[in-house]
Amino acid sequence: MATANPIPDNTLATDNTVAELLVLVTAMAPEHFNGVLANLASAFSPENFIVATQNELPADVPSSLRIVATPQSNAAWSIKPVDFVNAAQFGRKHGAQVILILGPEADSLSPLALRGLNDAVSKASIDLAVPHYSLPSNAGLINSAILYPLTRAIFASRVRFPLSIDLGMSLRMAEQLSLAAERVSAVNQGEVLVWPVNEAIAAGFAADEVDVGSRAMPQPSDPDINSILSLITGSLFADLEAKAALWQRPRRAPPIRRPIVEAELSDGTANVARMVAAFQLANANLQEIWSLVLPPNSLLGLKRCSTLDPAAFRMPDGLWAHIVYDFLIAYRLRTINRGHLLGALIPLYLAWVAGHINVTASGIPAERHIEAVAASFEADKPYLVARWRWPDRFNS
Amino acid sequence: MQNLVDNTIQQATRNITASPLYSEDVSIWHHMSDALHQSLYRVLTLLIAVLPGILAFFLSLLVFALAGMLISWILRRCLTWAKFDLRVARKSGTDWAPASSPSEIAARASFWICVLLGLVIGVSAFDTSYATGVALPISLLPYLTHAVGAALLLIAGIVIARFLARSVLISAVNAQLQYARILSLGVKWLVLVLTGAMVLDHLQVGGNIVELAFGILFGGIVLTLALAVGLGLRDLVSRSLESHVEHTGERTHMPDEATTASQSIRHF
Repeated sequence: MATANPIPDNTLATDNTVAELLVLVTAMAPEHFNGVLANLASAFSPENFIVATQNELPADVPSSLRIVATPQSNAAWSIKPVDFVNAAQFGRKHGAQVILILGPEADSLSPLALRGLNDAVSKASIDLAVPHYSLPSNAGLINSAILYPLTRAIFASRVRFPLSIDLGMSLRMAEQLSLAAERVSAVNQGEVLVWPVNEAIAAGFAADEVDVGSRAMPQPSDPDINSILSLITGSLFADLEAKAALWQRPRRAPPIRRPIVEAELSDGTANVARMVAAFQLANANLQEIWSLVLPPNSLLGLKRCSTLDPAAFRMPDGLWAHIVYDFLIAYRLRTINRGHLLGALIPLYLAWVAGHINVTASGIPAERHIEAVAASFEADKPYLVARWRWPDRFNS
Repeated sequence: MQNLVDNTIQQATRNITASPLYSEDVSIWHHMSDALHQSLYRVLTLLIAVLPGILAFFLSLLVFALAGMLISWILRRCLTWAKFDLRVARKSGTDWAPASSPSEIAARASFWICVLLGLVIGVSAFDTSYATGVALPISLLPYLTHAVGAALLLIAGIVIARFLARSVLISAVNAQLQYARILSLGVKWLVLVLTGAMVLDHLQVGGNIVELAFGILFGGIVLTLALAVGLGLRDLVSRSLESHVEHTGERTHMPDEATTASQSIRHF
């Protein structure tokens, strides 16, 4: 790892510089970094914050900004474990009360959003402030189909974007995430993910979300759904497996505080036929593998779905919840190779996406459908807990 | 001469009159009894000769199984202490995910290696005593070791065939290939045929016939696939090559349907 210092001396903060807020800006393109600096300058007064970054500073950066250099690392589409480690390290060094981590393309976050994240930690005394983005109905679909419903049902968390790429946090939360990041980095190689909301709940810290409006979401380097879904879902399943002792206890979900906002509709109907065809092909060929993972009821439900026309295609919410739970159980039990397991989930996920697009095209707001799916996951949590504890009971 | 004939006739007549009717039966029973006694003697002699070998076989198996349990326990403790699982996970990532942890696999492997060793030594002891007992140059050991090797080859081949078949099936379905199942079955049977040939070769059954048959079969499959790709997918390959040349050369290709689709839906 190179340790080149791209920060000019006139803006360099010394080691003993103290600030209430530390903003860690992850690796990003220069034009995005300029935008982030401009937004930070308009959101906070320069004496209140320090920027920690590995990006090269633009020539016209105001000298009032205090900037420290972090070790160089590769750019990524999400917050990397090393970012959490750096955040904790620099936050401790500069005595920061609040730490903001801004992910790639964070220039699309408004100054108001940045202030909201800071205020949530400094004034509302929560340890983890997670942004609530306003995305079009056809974006963030893995989050809507799996991450949000599963996290909400299992940890009783209302955070809509558990794998957020911007975060506000207290110093103790940063320390906690730094430990988690070191742990997952030690166990895994390559691209690994840290689940801040799960860590906050496991540590007993308060986590809440802050409306930040729209944001440009960076996409993974490999846009292939096979690799994205396997990476993200596999990482979440592994994290849930590690925290099984925690989430099996009953938890009361906090009340919903945000109104359901109708997301911007987009035309995705052209893809529905293709996704339904992919599901039907899988239904004809993957029965042997699905039957190792799914109980007969779910297989019957899928068979019924496979006979539907693309225009009328729907994946029942309860069926989808059971499918995800059964795959989680199979992941834990290693019923089949985990790579095969996550590969076999892809056509089912595409079927859910096709159904979701049809639902939203019929006039039902996307957020309402996603909330209904999440409610199904919550209602079926006893099924997950029972199967987790006594998996053989369901085999007969 | 006349005297000699008379004497013979008299002796024969005396014998006939002196022997009762059942004297022939006694003689048969006597021979049968002798034969049975000799057979029993031979079997008992064989058993007495083989019994130490059988006892040695079971004793060897028991001792090595106990030693295997001890070694397995020590190995498990040592690997846990050395955080072996963590190190392996760090090296291999999450791609290789067997049902048990690496230290558990190593411990089990050490146990079964000991059991196998005990089995081989027991068979060797049995083989020695058996060969001595029957005084025949029959040796079971080489055949048994070949059989064990062949069984291991067969198991490994079946496991690999199943793994590859599933990998191909899932990848082909996710790539939306209509002939995914045929492709998967083809891969599975190729590996199984290869395994079968290796097993037969290992057992030294069939000799050159197996090699020849396998060569013809495998070569035939490859030739068929080559012809199928060459003739059936000629247009597709040429289109693919053309689009690749355009893409790398001019960078002015038009977005196809799949690209448009992936742009309109954002999974993350």
